[in-house]
Formats: sequence, C-alpha cells, structure tokens
Amino acid sequence: MKLQLLGISAILFSTCLCLDLTGHVQWNDICPNYRVLGPAKVVLDAGKYSARITRNGNFSIPDVDPGIYALSVTSHDYIFDQFRVDVVDSTSPPHVRSHILGTPLISATSAFLRYPIVLVPRHKNNYFTPRESFNLLGMFQNPMVMIMVLTGVMMLGMPYIMKHLDPQTLEELKSQQGKIASIHNSIQNGDVKSGLSALLAAEEESKASVASGRAPGNGTTIQQRKAGRGSRRR
Amino acid sequence: MQLLWCLLSLFIFTFTVRAIHESEVGIVDWHTKLVGVPMYASHLTKPVFHEDTVFTATSNNVLAALNATDGSIVWRSIHDAQDAIMGFKVHDDSLYALSGPAGSTLRIYDVSTGHLIHEKRLHNPMEGKIHEPPTLGLALTLVRAEGGDQSIVLTNGHTVQCIHSSTGEIAWEWRSEDQSSLVMYTHIYPDTQTSTLYVAGFAKSVRSYTLHVSTLNLTTGGVIASVNIPASIANTLTDFLLLGPSRVGSSSTTSIPSDANADAFGPSLVWLSPSSTASNAPLSLFSAPLSPPLKGKVLTIPNTPYKHIQDVGLSDNGLFMAFRDNGTAEVLGYETGGSPVGVVWDFGDVTPSASTSGSHFVGALNGDGNPCIGKIVWSNLHNQVIHQTFEANLQQGTGQVTGFTFPFETNEHGTIRHVAFSPSSHLSPTNETPHKLLLVTSTGSLQLWDRNVLQWVREESLATVQTVTIVELPPTREEVIGAGVGGKSESFWSKIARQIGDTKNLPHYIIHFVTRFVTGSYATPSSPISLARSGPSTSTLPHLFPNRSPASPETLVRDPFSFRQLLIASTAHGKLFALDTSTGAIVWSRILGLGWARKVGGRIAPAKAFMVRKTETGGGNGVPEGQEGIALITQRIADNTLVDTVIFHFDPLTGEDIKTVTSTDGVTENPRVNVKDACGRWVSPLEGVDAIAGPLIDVFLLPDGKDTIGMLDEFLQVQLYPDTPITRASLTSLAPQLYFALRAGTQVLGHQLGLNDELSFFHVAFPTWGVSFGEDEEVVAIIKSANKGREVASIGRVKGDRSTLYKYLNPHLSVVISAPRTSSPRSGTCGLYVVDTVKGTVLYHVSLPVVNGKCDIQAVLDENWLVYSYYDDDAEAGGAKGYRIVSVEMYEGNGPDEKTSSSDITSYSGKTTEFSVYEQVFAVPHGVTAIATTTTKFGVSTKDIIISSRKNAVHSIPRRLLNPRRPKRKPTSEEAEEMLVQYDPALPDDGRLVLSHYYDVADVRQIITASSLLESTSLVLAVGTDLFLTRVATSGTFDVLSENFNKMQLVLTVVGLAVAIAVTKPMVRRRKLREQWYQ
Repeated sequence: MKLQLLGISAILFSTCLCLDLTGHVQWNDICPNYRVLGPAKVVLDAGKYSARITRNGNFSIPDVDPGIYALSVTSHDYIFDQFRVDVVDSTSPPHVRSHILGTPLISATSAFLRYPIVLVPRHKNNYFTPRESFNLLGMFQNPMVMIMVLTGVMMLGMPYIMKHLDPQTLEELKSQQGKIASIHNSIQNGDVKSGLSALLAAEEESKASVASGRAPGNGTTIQQRKAGRGSRRR
Repeated sequence: MQLLWCLLSLFIFTFTVRAIHESEVGIVDWHTKLVGVPMYASHLTKPVFHEDTVFTATSNNVLAALNATDGSIVWRSIHDAQDAIMGFKVHDDSLYALSGPAGSTLRIYDVSTGHLIHEKRLHNPMEGKIHEPPTLGLALTLVRAEGGDQSIVLTNGHTVQCIHSSTGEIAWEWRSEDQSSLVMYTHIYPDTQTSTLYVAGFAKSVRSYTLHVSTLNLTTGGVIASVNIPASIANTLTDFLLLGPSRVGSSSTTSIPSDANADAFGPSLVWLSPSSTASNAPLSLFSAPLSPPLKGKVLTIPNTPYKHIQDVGLSDNGLFMAFRDNGTAEVLGYETGGSPVGVVWDFGDVTPSASTSGSHFVGALNGDGNPCIGKIVWSNLHNQVIHQTFEANLQQGTGQVTGFTFPFETNEHGTIRHVAFSPSSHLSPTNETPHKLLLVTSTGSLQLWDRNVLQWVREESLATVQTVTIVELPPTREEVIGAGVGGKSESFWSKIARQIGDTKNLPHYIIHFVTRFVTGSYATPSSPISLARSGPSTSTLPHLFPNRSPASPETLVRDPFSFRQLLIASTAHGKLFALDTSTGAIVWSRILGLGWARKVGGRIAPAKAFMVRKTETGGGNGVPEGQEGIALITQRIADNTLVDTVIFHFDPLTGEDIKTVTSTDGVTENPRVNVKDACGRWVSPLEGVDAIAGPLIDVFLLPDGKDTIGMLDEFLQVQLYPDTPITRASLTSLAPQLYFALRAGTQVLGHQLGLNDELSFFHVAFPTWGVSFGEDEEVVAIIKSANKGREVASIGRVKGDRSTLYKYLNPHLSVVISAPRTSSPRSGTCGLYVVDTVKGTVLYHVSLPVVNGKCDIQAVLDENWLVYSYYDDDAEAGGAKGYRIVSVEMYEGNGPDEKTSSSDITSYSGKTTEFSVYEQVFAVPHGVTAIATTTTKFGVSTKDIIISSRKNAVHSIPRRLLNPRRPKRKPTSEEAEEMLVQYDPALPDDGRLVLSHYYDVADVRQIITASSLLESTSLVLAVGTDLFLTRVATSGTFDVLSENFNKMQLVLTVVGLAVAIAVTKPMVRRRKLREQWYQ
C-alpha cells in the first residue's frame, strides 16, 4: 500500500524534489496523551510548511522543498525542543539537529538526531504562583520576629543567668566592665576637652558617674553597656 | 545546555515575575470563547445537526461543534488564514473537513471530542485554483465499503480521490483527462448498489454553459462513460443539481421490486434552461435519469415556466425546491419509487409582500429517516415567525404539513439569514422528539429554538469586533457628594434631609464597619466586583453567550478602583454591544440602522469611535449637561455600491441616541428612536447622520476642547460634526496647526488645511510633502503614537552615574510600514519607518525580510519607545531563523545630559533630528499577532509590552527585559543600580508571563489597554475571534494594600505585644521598687 502510495505521489509530483517530513510525539509523564496536549502544530520556519499532530501523536509535513529549516511546535500548554532540519532531496532522509532559541541555526557542533523526528514534551507551562498563606510557624521563622523574641528572652532571662554565674567569672566580668567604663570616661573627657556642647557632656558625665558610682549589683551591666553605647553614638 | 538555559531563566525570573494566583482566574480576568458567524452560502459549510450537536464552519475560519441543548462549545478547531475551511461533512462519529485552496487538505476529526484522527494532503496548495465562490468544484461524500468507510472527495474541479477513513490512505485517484479543458466538475453522487460514482459538472460553451457527466467505478476509480449533455445554463452555481434516486432516504428499501431495472434507479441530473433558443424564452426544467453507461434521454418536467431551483440539502434524497414565475414554491421529487421527477408538494405563493418577508427553505432528515422541508417566513402582521414543515413519505407517496409560530425578536436580532433544522417525526406521534431550529440572523447571532421555545442565543458577531472604546462609569452618588463635585453646592436643609434619610443605613454601616475592622476584608483588586446592585434579571432568555446582565443607569456605577467600565464594541454585522469589563457580560446592545439603504440592503463598516464631550449647538435637542457620548464613524456600503459616511452618536451607558442635529435641518425625529420595550430592549435601531455622501479618507478629533470631529472626504474636504458656525470658526483658527499623513500608494503625503472662500465652503487638505519608500514598496499601515495627547510622566531616565538621558518626545511621530507591491512578491523587502508627520522627515528606518510573501510586522510606538516584531529568515552563517522583537529607544542629543526639549520645539527646527538611538533585538519562540503597551492613569508606572502570540496566548513582557541598554557583559554596579540585567538574546518563554494562562484566546487581532483609577493597574483587552480581558500591575500594586498583607498577623503581633507589656509591667515595677529599697 505504502509503495503504491509512493508511486502515485511520485507520478503526481514528478517535478517536485520535495519530501514528506514525518515524526511523532513521545508521550511521557509530562504529557501522557493527546487529550492533555490539545491541538498542536508542527511548523517549519514562519509557517510556510506546517502539519497538525494527530491523535496517535504522529505528524507529516507534505512536500517540503530542499533547504534548511527551523522546526518548532506550537502548543498552548507544553514546551518542546526546537530542531534544525536540513532537507537535501526527496530520496535521502533529512538531517535533524537540535537547535536552541537565540543561538545561530548553523553550528558545527550539534550531533545528528534520528529521523523520523521524535518530539519530546520538555515541560508544562506553569502559569500561576501559589498564594502565600498565613501560618504561625512561618511567622516565627521570620528573622525579624526571631530577633524580637530572642531579645525578649534575653531581657527576661539575663538577671537569672547572672545570678547563677559563679563569683569568679562575675569578678572578671566586672573588671572588664570597669575597664570599658574607664575607656568610655576618658573618651568622654576628651570630647569635653575638644569643646563639644557643655550640656551634652554634663549629661554624659552624670550618666557615667551614675554608672560607675552605682553598686555593682545584678543587672547593672546591661544598663552600663547601653549607656556606653549611647554615648559613643553621640 | 537546555538545563543551563532553564536555570538562567529561572534565575532572572525569581525577582521579576508577578504571575496571578490560581484563585484569581475568572475574577481578575474573563474570556469569552466564540466561534464566529456561520458561513451558510455553500452546502458544504452551512451548519448541520448531528444528534445533539450543531456543527458549523464560520467566517472566522473556525470549525466548531456546539451543544444544541445549552449552546456551549463542545470543541473548535481554529484554522490558519491560508488554510481556509472549504467544507465539512459529518458521518457516523467522524467529521470530514476540507480546507486550503481548492480543498488541498482533508482532516478527519472525532465528532465528540474534536480530536484530529487523520490529516491528509490531497494536492499541493500551489496547484489549487481559486474559484468564485471558493467552494466551487469541491464535493465530499462518504460511502460504506468493505473494510470501513471511504470518503470520496472532489477537489479542484477535476480530481476525485477515494480515501480510507480508518487509515487516511488514498485508495484510488481519478483526474479528468483534459485538465486544461473547460469542464469543471461540481457534483458527485456515489451509487453503492451499482458501484458507480456519478460526477457532474459544466463546461463553458459560446454563450452559456453545457453539462458534462462522467461515471467512475467506485472500487477502482476507472472511467465507465463520459457524456456531454447539451443544455444552456446561465448560472452554474444554482441552475443544476444532481438528484439522488428515489429509493435513497426511504426507510424501507426492500419495497423496491427486486426485478426492477437497476438503471432506472440511478440519479437524475436536473437543470433549468431556456425552453427555446429565443433570447427571452421562459425557463424550463429538464431532467436526465442517469445510469452507469450514461444512456438515456432528457425529459422535460411540466408546469413551465420556472424561475429558479434550490437545493435545500435533500438532493441526495431525491427532493429539491423549484420556484415558478408566479411565486409558487414547489417541492419536486419522485412521487413514487421509479417515477419521473414531478411535483410532490406545493407551498403556495411565497412572494415577499407587505405582510410577509421572503421565505427560507431548509431540508433535513428526521429521526425516522424521512426527508422534511421546512419553510420559515417572518409575518409582519403577527410579529412572529411562521414555520411549516413538510414531511414526505416517498415510499407511500404521501406527505403532511405541520406548523407553528415562534416569537423571534426582530428588534434585537435583525432578520433571519439562514435556518438549519432537526425536525421531529410527525408521522409517529408516539415519540415526541424535539424539533430544533437553528437561526443565523443578520446581526450575527445564533439562536436555537425548540418548537416555539428559545433555548439559547450566541452573539457571534462579537467575533468580528471592529472598533472598541472603553468608557469609565460615573461615580456612585455617595462619591459624587463626598467629593463635592457636581457643580452646585447643596443647601443646608437638603443636606440635613439627605443625612436623615441616610440614617436608615446606619445599622448596616456599623455592622459593615465592625466586620471590616475585625476580618480585614477590604476591597482588593482581586476581590470579585459585586453585581448584587444590578436589578432583578429582566431577561427571559435561559442562556445567552456571553451572559447578559441587564442594568439600568442607577446600577451602572463604578467600583472603588474603576475596574468596572463599559466596553463599547461595534461589530461587522451592524450591531453595537456594551460589555461590562469586570465580567464580560452584555449590558446593552443595539442594531445600527441603515438609513435610506434599508430598502436596498447594505452593511455598516465601522471605522473609528471617539469619546466626545457634550456638543454645544444652537438648537441642540436637549443633551443633558456634562453628558459624554460616543461618536461612531462608519461607512455604509449599500448593496447598490453607494458608499456613505454615517455618524452614530449615542450615550455609552444606555445606547440612547443623542445625535445633535442642527435645528435648521428640520429632520422629523422618529418618535420611537429612544423607546424601550418591557424587557428593556430598544424598539428601533440606532439611526445615524449622513455626514459625507461618499467614502471616508481620514478622521480626526479637532483639538478645540469641544471634541468636534473632522472628516476628510474623497475630495479631501473637511466635513465637521457637528457642523455649526462655531465649529467652523474653531477649525479656521486651528487649521494651521493640523497636519495629516495620508497613504497614497507608494508614498505617504503630508497634508495641511487651507480655505479658499471663493471656491469652496470647506477647508481642503493640500499636500505639503511626500515621502516615497522605494520603487516597489507600498505603504501598508500608518501607526500613530500610542500616547498621543496624553501627558508624559517623566521626560528623562536617570542613569546609574547620575547623568540623565532625555527622552526624544516629538509629538508628531508616526510609524509607517511598507511592503513590496503585490506585483513583485518575490523580490524586495518590507520597511519600517518612523516619520515626522509635520515635515516628512524619516527619523528611523529598517528593512525587514519578506516571509511567505507577506510583511508580518507588528509595531507600537509609545513616547520614545518603539517595539516591533518580525520573522528573521536569514539562515546564513551566524544567522538564526526565528521570530524577533526589537526594542528601540530614542533619546535627545548624542549622549546623556544633552537636551533639545524635543517635546516643545517647533518641528521646523533643525534640532528635531538631533537624537540618538539605542536598539536591541530579542528572539521570541512564537510569532506575534498584536502588540501594545500598557496604559495607566498618570503614566508613572512602568510600561510593559503586551503581545499576543500564535499559540493563542497573551503575554506580558516586562520593560526591564526589553530595555535596549541591557549590557552584554556582567552589569557594573552603576548599571545594577539602574536595574539593568545582562543581555540574553532569547526572551524567556515563561508560563508566568502568560496573562491568559490556560485560556485559549483565539486569533487576537488587536490589543487595547485602558487605565483604571489605580495608577498601578492597567486593563488589557485582547480582541480577535475571542474576547479576553485582564488586569496587569506592571510595577506591582504599590497603591493598594498588598494581596499578601495579613491582617491576622498584624492583629496577632499587636496582641502579643500587649500581652508582653502586661506581663513585664509588674516585673519592672517590682524591680524599680527594689532598686529604691536597696540603693
């Protein structure tokens, strides 16, 4: 039958050196059948030659003249590879190479693919972004919230930690704080000397004196540090 | 490599893409799926019933299956322009469709799903001869044979092919020996009993046509006989037909005597030709019974003279209609099996009269297999359609007629143009089968009636939208009062009265406030717009596609963000529609009147629609203060070839006629012009004003603040609407500032207006410059700048190094697209030019390749940004075939910080040519059918490009991807500050950029964008076979609370903080106290 058909077409188009370009779609997990694929078309160049994909996944583009073509698939929901097809004459099978959009059509590198052409659905278009929903865990995973919570915990827990520290380390800490405080004092004095506003200095000095003069009890370290930091900023 | 590419695109898109959420589908967008108006001129394309489905081929080149019960689309197959549908036939569970020049392709579909089973090329499209009509010389029939069905196809007027339906392979082919001869075959009839195929056609003789018949062997395709039948036929389309033998279609074939001569039961050729050689001899009807060896004689059918004959689709079943000179319509056929052709039934006088319109006749087989002929006639007396059905029982030689009337809405749908029906069987009254009628009306609507009950209506003329105007709705009463607009301040007492009146809403307001405060349900851009305000449905129609939401002016108010606007669409079928942009439902519709051409017939071709403000005229007929109207400028093409320019002026909210006729005109107003019936439909068509007695050349809006319309007629005279001394005076004062660029064959001519009092009353346009674009280039289109007349938000672009590129904002730019002349399609190139329309300077020019003999170029120019698309077919070394989008930006001077104030300087200044161009080309995977930029209220938001692609999708391309200054290397920190990303030649094919997501938006011809009240959001309307509308926020919805804003989170945080304070407060107090104790 096929031979007979070929014979007929050879008689009919004896003047034409053209060839019927055939191929099929390889159904896969992305696109399992024709029903999900929907109407799709195989197009050479800008639609000079085209054929629709039939229910069994085959296509046949009739009477393609010799030349170099870019073959693409027009499908609404699926993305297929593009091919470069070189039709030489009506007898020898065409050369099929893969082609990537935005690269030169003629490149020496790509290897020949098999003919008839096998079209593989590469991926399905994803049109939507998922909506962000409210969840408590997500809220607490937010770094800002985490910092907030940590600070709160620190504020509440610090006195108890200080209470349970052994006296030696407490002493060390105190001495370190004393050093820091003295450094701060010296800087502040220098500031006064260099002629900054007298009022500011007085305030700082009073604060510093309060800090240094205060009995080294529990919980004062943070206040001191804060005061020191505040003055540095000013 | 593929993976790399995907990763790269993913990387770019993680911070650029704003796709919609799946739950917003149908809320922020709508899609009206249409098929188009059926083609009913040919037997092969007219709508047919098959079980509970209607199949139709439409003028939009769509093959569709509609559910006859509810009118929904079961499936549709959209064809390309070069693959026009020529005909189809339904047989069992397959649909056979012929398409392409002279039927070059046969496709076999599954009728229930529309799945393509086979596609077979019958001949090269180049060999297809174009006939008038294109379906001439085509025939398609199906025969049952051993080993499955076979389809027998006659194409090109001389080739018959027999194709196996199961495999799609050709069993045999026959070509008439002498293809160059004048014999053209048009009819085929397969006779399976004698295994003979009868092929009938005509041949040109000296003064008229003679008939030609050949018989072929049905199994091999071999020729049995071929004869010429002397006849002189005047009209080859209507004056002859091949009438099937009498036994076909009868339910009891066994009643044929087995010993009867089989030859007697072949088909008959029936034709109409003059009974004598005299020039005005009356026409007689002849019949020639055919047999395989084609021996027999010509019989004359008595009852001369006949005027014409009509095949109502039952010729295979042995019935046709014939009309006598005295207006009588007769059903002709074989009265009994084997008898010669004679009159079977007489429908009586069917001549159109004052009380009845012309009759439509339609034939079909009913459930019992009996042929039925239906007659449909509009009665002016009853304002109803009278439908009669003749059911023949040829075996018994009997027939009967039944009838009923049904209330067709002629005010709403015009006149009936075509009828298809699926008759019930009257001879067996036990099973009351439905009797379905499908009407195609002059306004392009499709209606299905089951006896006298309307089942559904599809407004298919919406697939032929010509002009679209988007109109904002007026604000609600509360908003008007709140904003203090409306001119007059209300008095103290009226304010008190209003506020007391409003107190009845107080409980509702409080409840609403509390719920809103607690749940945080504010109006968001994606919340559905409540249509609860619209009144109860007055429509009695059960189904209407698209839905109709009747609305009164009180309910037509805008929503908080003005997403609800009115879309005024004029169609090619003379009907106006107003659609709700939030749902796509029809708000009102009205037929455009034909004026004087009503008597001769004609059509209205809309050219342009303008939104115009109130027109002040001396004797204006009471246009309410501040009311806006739409002026639709159309060309009325009467059937007697006269063309007039007609203006329709109406209120966009209701469709009410508000045309301003000058009082001197003395036009007698039709009292019914603005009358509605009980269902809220307009009683009479909208009539226009004849503005020009001739075609329209160009139309423009006069910039006089009153929105006067100026029209150029074929003598280039300016006609005004409204035409008053005031508007004339303003035209005289504005004339020196008006410039037009008009196409004139190979060149574009610039025109200005002048008035010579002595010669003419009118201003006449005279050419001031001309630009021709090469020998063989023809001007195809002139595209005006998209932002014409709109404010420009920013005049420059600040670069990363703090220098500024000033936009080239010449207000007179137009894009001209040229194509090689049709006489020389092979050579030449397409051209794209940016022209200054004041002095004709070509500012930018590219030559683009011609692809498939066409220049498929889409372009849009907005401010200083030109974007165009084309197909690059250069396959030479380094070239890559594919679709391209080019982004071009024009900036003043030769570099940054150079300013020529191009928006303000006179066009005659030499500085208008001092500008620099930045351009970049991008590859896109699919062809572009339309292109537009987004429009926002103030133009501050980023402008994105909206394109529609050949895969029936509408995409948005962010501006940052199309920025022509994208660097070709890694962006420097300065460039990164400008948000420039590295150049990638391919624009990503990302699904999240597809605005139309899974909607299949067929064949988009035009994209229109409109602004809403939100600066961030733009409405995008795609018009083609389908209608699609969505909203886009190009820079994010910066002016409304984010969709992701979580009131719950906020409330929880506040509550958490309050609890924390409550917990820590006593602790702090305790410690302070302790501190004071121990200090």
